[in-house]
Amino acid sequence: MSNRCCPNNSQPDASRRQFLKSAALRTNALGFGNLALGALLQDTLIANPTISKQTHHPAKAKRIIFLFMKGGPSHVDTFDYKPQLQKDDGKELPYEKPRVQFGETSKLMGSPWKFRPHGESGIMVSELFPHVGNQIDDICLLNSVHGTNAAHGGALLKLHTGSDNFVRPSMGSWVTYGLGTENQNLPSFVTICPTLAHGGVKNWSSAFLPAKFQGTPLGVASQPATSAEVAYTHNKRITRKQQRLQLDLIKQANQAHLKLTGPNQALEGRIGSFELAFRMQSQVPEIVDIADESKQTLTMYGLDEEVTKDFGRQCILARRFAEAGVRFIQITHSDSNVQWDQHGDLVKGHTKNALEVDKPIAALLADLKQRGLLEDTLVLWGGEFGRTPVMQGSNGRDHNPEGFTMWMAGGGVKGGYQYGTTDEYGYFAQTDKMHVNDLHATLLHLVGLNHLNLTYRYAGRDFRLTDVAGKVATGIFA
Amino acid sequence: MKIFRTFLLLTALLGFYCANCTTSWADDGTDFFENKIRPILVKHCYECHGEDEQESDLRLDSYADMLRGGAAAPAVIPGEPDESLLLHAIGYADDELQMPPDGKLSDAVIADFRKWIEMDAPHPDGNKTSILPRQGSVDLEKERQFWSFQPLLDSTIPTVKTSTWPQQPLDYFILNKLEQQKLSPAASADRRTLIRRVTFDLTGLPPTPAEINDFLNDKSSDAYQHLVDRLLDSEAYGERWGRFWLDVVRYADSNGLDENVAHGNAWRYRDYVIAAFNQDRPFNEFLTEQIAGDLMPETKSTAINNRRVIATGFLVLGPKVLAEVDKVKMEMDIIDEQVSTVGQAFMGMTFGCARCHDHKFDPISTEDYYALAGVFKSTTTMESFKTIAKWNETEIASERDQAKHKTITALIDTKTTELKEFTDTANQQLLVALGVEKLPATPETQYPADTKKQHQALLAEIKKLTDERGELPSAMAVTENEPENLKVHLRGSHASLGKTIERGFPEVFISAKHHQVDVKSSGRLELAQWLTDPQHPLTARVFVNRVWRWHFGQALQPTTDNFGNLGEKPINQPLLDHLAKTFIDNGWSIKHLHRTIMSSSTYRMSSDFNNAASNIDSTNQYLWRFPVKRLEAEAIRDSILAVSGLLDRTMGGSMLPVKNREFLFNHTSKDLTKYDCFVRSVYLPVVRNNLYDFFQLFDYNDASVSNGDRQTTTVAPQALYMLNSPLVDEASCQIAEKLLAENNSLKTQVQQLYLKLLGRNATRQEMSRSRQYYNLFLQTAVTPSSPAIETNVATVAARTAPDSSTDARSEFETATDPCRTTAQFQALKLLVHSILVSNEFVFIR
Repeated sequence: MSNRCCPNNSQPDASRRQFLKSAALRTNALGFGNLALGALLQDTLIANPTISKQTHHPAKAKRIIFLFMKGGPSHVDTFDYKPQLQKDDGKELPYEKPRVQFGETSKLMGSPWKFRPHGESGIMVSELFPHVGNQIDDICLLNSVHGTNAAHGGALLKLHTGSDNFVRPSMGSWVTYGLGTENQNLPSFVTICPTLAHGGVKNWSSAFLPAKFQGTPLGVASQPATSAEVAYTHNKRITRKQQRLQLDLIKQANQAHLKLTGPNQALEGRIGSFELAFRMQSQVPEIVDIADESKQTLTMYGLDEEVTKDFGRQCILARRFAEAGVRFIQITHSDSNVQWDQHGDLVKGHTKNALEVDKPIAALLADLKQRGLLEDTLVLWGGEFGRTPVMQGSNGRDHNPEGFTMWMAGGGVKGGYQYGTTDEYGYFAQTDKMHVNDLHATLLHLVGLNHLNLTYRYAGRDFRLTDVAGKVATGIFA
Repeated sequence: MKIFRTFLLLTALLGFYCANCTTSWADDGTDFFENKIRPILVKHCYECHGEDEQESDLRLDSYADMLRGGAAAPAVIPGEPDESLLLHAIGYADDELQMPPDGKLSDAVIADFRKWIEMDAPHPDGNKTSILPRQGSVDLEKERQFWSFQPLLDSTIPTVKTSTWPQQPLDYFILNKLEQQKLSPAASADRRTLIRRVTFDLTGLPPTPAEINDFLNDKSSDAYQHLVDRLLDSEAYGERWGRFWLDVVRYADSNGLDENVAHGNAWRYRDYVIAAFNQDRPFNEFLTEQIAGDLMPETKSTAINNRRVIATGFLVLGPKVLAEVDKVKMEMDIIDEQVSTVGQAFMGMTFGCARCHDHKFDPISTEDYYALAGVFKSTTTMESFKTIAKWNETEIASERDQAKHKTITALIDTKTTELKEFTDTANQQLLVALGVEKLPATPETQYPADTKKQHQALLAEIKKLTDERGELPSAMAVTENEPENLKVHLRGSHASLGKTIERGFPEVFISAKHHQVDVKSSGRLELAQWLTDPQHPLTARVFVNRVWRWHFGQALQPTTDNFGNLGEKPINQPLLDHLAKTFIDNGWSIKHLHRTIMSSSTYRMSSDFNNAASNIDSTNQYLWRFPVKRLEAEAIRDSILAVSGLLDRTMGGSMLPVKNREFLFNHTSKDLTKYDCFVRSVYLPVVRNNLYDFFQLFDYNDASVSNGDRQTTTVAPQALYMLNSPLVDEASCQIAEKLLAENNSLKTQVQQLYLKLLGRNATRQEMSRSRQYYNLFLQTAVTPSSPAIETNVATVAARTAPDSSTDARSEFETATDPCRTTAQFQALKLLVHSILVSNEFVFIR
């Protein structure tokens, strides 16, 4: 258990060389030493983009795009068809409700939406998602996901960091810690228009992992996607030519200073970081600027329609970052009313929400596929929990972490496939149950990382995204 | 007997047993096991907990393994069904541990398991099994031999060859190690280097050119001591060293986690810490105030009593899941956070692991954990657990506050009585005037004009008085609760409780038994007494090691927050123990410790590189030179503000933009935080989940967990910030403006620039380089008459400006002074900016 090969955060940069030496010597049987080494080198040799990173096993996906639906979309109204629920609409739930519930609920409430079979697989999808339904043969529904927390804050943290009560690194940070980056000129983990509530930065922070693994936010949920940009990538008061000159001057000054102090990783690293920053500030705006997209593409993502243009832009940005080699890209569908959180007015709320995301998401899947990116990009869709099959108030549904649906597409998963089930009403996950920890284990597996071996030594022990749990759902692998 | 048992086993395996036997079991009950229990185990458990696989290190196919248990706890404790984890797991009582995972066993089967355990869990191997101690169970005598649990060494001062070098006893320890490694210490640093190092070290700010001059010209033999004393006496000292402590206690001005509400009164604790450092409060007293300030003997001074209440804010500051639906879990999570923080902050021990299982690496048992947890269970940290839960606050009014409050309250009471009499009379008159028996809904609207006026005047007066009275100040603080011992929570779950553990301190510490918890109190005072007992092997060691780390950037025991088995061994334990002993002997005085360290030859070495030494000790762990250190986030920002004249030295108070307990972030994702003032960084709000982006970039503490050893990372976004942020840009402008205002030659301007920013003169080479670039910058200057500005980004279509209220940027966007558009200004400013972001500005030698 004493896997001492993981980078120790107490190593100051100055001692890194010594550490690299010892880490190389201590490489363990699991081969993790190499992995950690790769991650470290990413920083040390900051200007060298040609570092090979070894995964634990061959990866099925090279990157992950997470389409986060904040608030908790109702699975029984979208991707988890429950004929018995329709039949028993208005009746009492014939079994006990969970011990811990968020709010008061009453009787069973059938879905107000019709379901019909889609694609060759004939999987039932509700009329809320006609476009995504058309892509169902590329989608692997995870109908048996369940979590541990019935409140937004706890559930968001659990989903993003694996823990609802402790401060832990986010899954994007773990993924980039494990894989390093494909493009040294870009952050390896970006989150577009994230929500600042319910854990906020914690949901993309690196916690005790080194800072370079934290997510880089572009914009926030309360602002339109058009304003999503990486902070401090331009200085209005300086021209590019002036800044180039400045960098030359800084470099000369720094090199003279370095001569005095002798070889020093931290000083050398900082010299390199200015050059990288200069390259980054030209690359990031190029990605965020979608002016070079064809009209046809813009239309496909719904950028020409008011209702879809905001999330459509996020989807296009996700694809562009994926193309540029970013490892983990999260986009968020959320606004001031916790978007998918329909404690009341389910029909009105879910209709609006689905309309905003359905077409852009379908476009993203199709676009990734036509560009050959879908095969090594894992797309994950879902919220922090689902909703109850029982009614809240007169026309809403409460939070339900006991059983809900997320889905994956691309990157090594079966298409047109349903994994796991909930009970006949969709309240509790029942077969092939997939806890959030299992979801994490599975995600890591798909990108070539073994969740048991992806560890980091902090405060006296090795930490994992999956803590002491997690089971890989091999059943979904293509 | 053995033959009989074998026979029974055989019959059971062969599957023919008498139907009548179902109610009359053989005396030893093993056939109950064979018939009712084993088949279930085979069918549902062996796949994952048998010969081939042992999930969570648990095997259920042998009796010994069942009794020993897996990673968590014994699976079966004969006779104790409620403490047997196996029953707990199959009972599905706990959301996290439900076995078998594919569905709950029938109630009848579960009842059989309960019965079997109640029968003392008879098993065919019952007599021949000698149970191995459970994995992780603690052999105290052996564990006590571990270095950090041993008493402080009585370190004799080692002998050295170069006896002229040491200035302080500690130098002998350092030199001794160096000589053993065939290393020799670097020469002393020159005065310029020293004053820069010492000033940053003690205050987090650069020395001013005048201060540098004074020191260079001070020819007295104790010039250096004077310098150190001056800085230790400055208020800036507490602002820097208090901040280090705030990292250790995971200080924050908001809750973070799920519901990010404002810790509106946390600043009182922050200011208390700064004052404690400035007043050199002995560390043992400082510790006691934070754990049990409210239980210390009351003094005549309200100020001191209040200060001690404020100090207990330490226990309340942790992040909490305030909307946790499961209230029992919330309470245990809060207690866990307190146990973990106390363990890590004062002892460098991770107690949290023992919540669910005996600590795997350190000799802390689950019993030890719940003994300590009981102390906090007997303490009131929360006012209410109802969503959104509220932490406890205690009123801390001074006598003056109270007197004022009382006087105004009396006035309000008088006015209220007056109002009532007035309204009664007015209402009576109204009834008569209207000729009705029942008053209308809002009678005051129908008063005659004069009466109405008088009525409103009275109301206004009461409102004014009420506003003036305000609320009595309160502080985040704990109080005593009903004393209560906790039961062991099996696998950490409150849904499954084991035996009751009396409050107390971990058994591995011999001194623990001298500090018994009074049954009538929570035990916090006893906890503090135990921790500050000079016999405690960890408290002084851990703190002295932290101070060394903050001075040198590297510690004597490299893992400052972990002194357990997974921590590193100290590089120089005799020195660590010597310092710890000296610290205790000098009344736990922190300033004395600083003086001891800073007057050593070790501290005063230069940081010059030495190739030969580097070949022997590349990481400088033996300290053959003074380490080169990057400034911390706060020091970088404060220095930029200081050299540009922007720094506001106002001390203390709250900078939070919202009221106590209000949301910093609600569902709207609207960012209400503001960092656009120029006070020292220690006073900026620490908003969990949304730290000031500058802090976030430059390796600030996470603010949710104790941390005495911040990382130093180098990432490109830091460079982006330095190049493009309005803060650094504006600071450069300010400096350039001041340099220009003095109307000097470029040569003088450059000299002043180097003195101001780097504390030294520019070399001839730097002078000519500056001139060269100044001229290049002049050529690229963009004046109002030059063609349209070509900014450093590609023009991005359809980009709208980010909401300017979200960060400090807006502060500067409108500052367009006409004199800033001249080519000279721009060229000088670009020069200033380049030096300001250079390595030398942020790395201290």
